Amino acid sequence: MSAIVTSELSKTYGGGRSGLTRQRATTAGVQALAGLTIEVREGEIFGFLGPNGAGKSTCIRILLGFLHPTGGSASVLGQPVVGDALEIRRRVGYLPSGISFYDTMTGEGLLDYLARLYGRGSPRRADLLERLELSSATLRRPVRDYSRGMRQKVGIIQALQHDPELAILDEPSEGLDPLMQHAFYDILDELRRDGRTIFFSSHVLSEVERVCDRVAIIRAGHLVALSDVEELLRRRRRRVEMRVDGPVPPLDGVPGVSSLEVRDGVLSCQLEGEVGPFLAAIVSARVIDLTIEPARLEEAFLEFYTADEPALQARPPSAEVPS
Amino acid sequence: MNGPLFIRTLAAHRIRLLAAGSGMFAWGFVLPIIYATFGQDLKQLVEGNPLLSQFAQFGGGDVFSLHGSIALGFIHPFTLVLMGIFAVGFSTLAVAGERQRGTLEVILSRPISRHTFYFTLLVAGALFLAILLASHLIASVLSASLMGVLPELSLGNLPLLWLVGWLLFMCFLAIGFAASVSFDRLAPALGITLTIVLVSYLLEVVGSLWPDAAWLQEYSLFHYMAAKEVLDGGIRAGDVLLLGAVILAAVAYGWIVFPRRDLAAPS
Repeated sequence: MSAIVTSELSKTYGGGRSGLTRQRATTAGVQALAGLTIEVREGEIFGFLGPNGAGKSTCIRILLGFLHPTGGSASVLGQPVVGDALEIRRRVGYLPSGISFYDTMTGEGLLDYLARLYGRGSPRRADLLERLELSSATLRRPVRDYSRGMRQKVGIIQALQHDPELAILDEPSEGLDPLMQHAFYDILDELRRDGRTIFFSSHVLSEVERVCDRVAIIRAGHLVALSDVEELLRRRRRRVEMRVDGPVPPLDGVPGVSSLEVRDGVLSCQLEGEVGPFLAAIVSARVIDLTIEPARLEEAFLEFYTADEPALQARPPSAEVPS
Repeated sequence: MNGPLFIRTLAAHRIRLLAAGSGMFAWGFVLPIIYATFGQDLKQLVEGNPLLSQFAQFGGGDVFSLHGSIALGFIHPFTLVLMGIFAVGFSTLAVAGERQRGTLEVILSRPISRHTFYFTLLVAGALFLAILLASHLIASVLSASLMGVLPELSLGNLPLLWLVGWLLFMCFLAIGFAASVSFDRLAPALGITLTIVLVSYLLEVVGSLWPDAAWLQEYSLFHYMAAKEVLDGGIRAGDVLLLGAVILAAVAYGWIVFPRRDLAAPS
């Protein structure tokens, strides 16, 4: 079964049902989401990428029932997203970006209160507290005394402490130091092993690359890519730089090689797909230095965002990675 | 109605409730003392002076009788300020304030419907108002007893006065909630509610002090909490119905509008 399914999901601010919101005056007729169709499988960590204003938060807020879609449909854990969507929220944990708390409450009081609102226990809390290094003494202090990182830890714990089937995390590692980021990634790995689903929205591409099984990239409300992370990286162009002593080997026509340039004995090019044909082509050259930079999600992301918008919008919503 | 949300709301406002309740108690205690100590002197002072006589009828209350002094306590600006902490402040903060602060989405990401959230806070607000008015009246009874003027008080009508006072401030609470669900930010919700309360108060006070402008009182909600008349002879059904209708309309508006609203990410 799919954890999340959206079909042609659209949201336009400023029209019809959202007419009572403040957006009417400021963003009248703005299409925040345009026919988004994605499927998040149960048990996977799904990365949801896009810059500010791409429609990520709009999508998340529709899934949780905070916003009403103006078109299409969505379901979470088999339940349609309509009205208050109480059954969905009973089974989901949510960490909003830049989460706010009641500052006068202690960390412990806050976690207890937020757990009580779920009406069930907190089976994961003790483990999460230990992994994220939040001590009992810290939890007894008011939240107003917490640093940004400590607040984020409390935010992560409140979203996961009740062991939800699906966790929707918006910028979850924001404010965490590198050690805590790694502890957090380990928590995500464990949740995946336990069969939980994570819907993960982030700007930090390296962490998406590190933890996610699949990613969707959206731009201006449109889906521009949906793929396995490995597949996305495999098909990325890598930058190659090679210094040779003597004649430069002929690389024209070698599969995967493009943007070839030779300057002062340094050959640079882009390499896509298998490395074998490239290595075979340079085997006779006297190579002094060779650098093949690893493919990064960042490059894939930037490629989608430097492409022409009309071309991206012309693709079908469920388009896989463009070659 | 959500138990944890209700208990948390009561706990979060306990200091405010204690402070406002103490103020209402003190104010309710002082008025019978003023009446018993200075009432007759003040009556002689203003008698024969039409201007002072008119000013002594402030908002339908006076200090020349026990009922008048208790009624004065219900319409006095001091009462308005203390009751306004919850009737205006609490109600407008309930949704718009939580929205602006970003805590609303944390609560509503739990399995709590917007109707439940709205109703729970409405009940909490109604309880706060009931407690404040009760503390005021209890203090007046204690004070009247201490001053030896308790026989002048129609004790049987006190619950009716409590009810009509509660209905009046419930109107403002319900209007505050209606404004609160209509905006993403606190300022407009607070501004609109405060304007309605102050204009209503002004109409009543001006109408009560200036005979030519007495017609203005009919447009004031305060006019339908005729405290002295309630103590003197009972409650007017029309007043109760009107205040009840205002509450019902404002609550119904919030009940319908809140679940239909888009809750965009807090700015």
